[in-house]
Amino acid sequence: MENIQIAGKHGVNFIPTVNFNADTGICEIEGESYLEDTIEFYSPLFKWLKEYCVEINKPITFNFRLRYFNTSSSKCIIDILNILKKYKDDGGTAEVYWYYDAEEEDIEDELEEIEDFVIETNMKINLVPE
Amino acid sequence: MNVAENAYQVYTELIDSTIISYNGPFDAQVLSIIAENIEYSLSDNPRVSKKLFKIFIELAQNISYYSAEKQENSEGILFGVGIIMLREFENHYSFSTGNLIERKQVLPVLQKCETINLLDREKLRQYKRKLRNMPSGEPGSGNIGLIQVALTADYPLEYSVIPVNDDNSFYIINIRVNKN
Repeated sequence: MENIQIAGKHGVNFIPTVNFNADTGICEIEGESYLEDTIEFYSPLFKWLKEYCVEINKPITFNFRLRYFNTSSSKCIIDILNILKKYKDDGGTAEVYWYYDAEEEDIEDELEEIEDFVIETNMKINLVPE
Repeated sequence: MNVAENAYQVYTELIDSTIISYNGPFDAQVLSIIAENIEYSLSDNPRVSKKLFKIFIELAQNISYYSAEKQENSEGILFGVGIIMLREFENHYSFSTGNLIERKQVLPVLQKCETINLLDREKLRQYKRKLRNMPSGEPGSGNIGLIQVALTADYPLEYSVIPVNDDNSFYIINIRVNKN
């Protein structure tokens, strides 16, 4: 299985940096996600994850390090968490970590959004202050 | 005061308070330039800068998708047209957007704004989660941008709809964020 590597952009579109590694099972999304065409960007990532669950079937560590994301990106984050939750329910191993800037003011808003992700998907998210 | 003096007063007041104003199509290029300007203009207040950035992206994407007035960009893709203004006052910043909506959208738009303003924070989060979980295409599903705007702002939404002609109305939203 191929790895996915996408370099983040802070320009016309705000594209997050993506690193999905099939050898280590470590998947990372970081940066900013404010795209015009969110579904088009995230669809290959969903496909990769689903394939990994079936073909590789090893533990997944999913690391989020997102500073900004819009509401349509938040729907895609929900989709990712749902895929991981299903994998776990079917006997797979998946851990999700959410890294955030503990120094930032008004971090409560961001933590509230992560709490909403957990309530919506029932997938555990480990919060890691940096 | 004569008309010229009056116009000059309006002009200077607007110039004094306006940080950003734009009228035209909301394509990705425009969004990125304005977003960058917000970050740059408010770099000394990261809390406010982040809030206004988040609010701007959601409001601008709403205009881009839902404005009844469309314009082609240089690549021939249609984008919604609207107006946006960021102004600074003594204790707060105010973000105003305006765009045309079809007449049949007036009632749903007003109802949505009304519902959002009636809900407290916890209920608003519940409402957001409910809409986000609905399959896209179902009535009421999809657009949770305005809910996120309300969760990010420091005041209730200020909104109004002005009839323009038989087909369209002008939909205005004003969002306030405290400086401190």
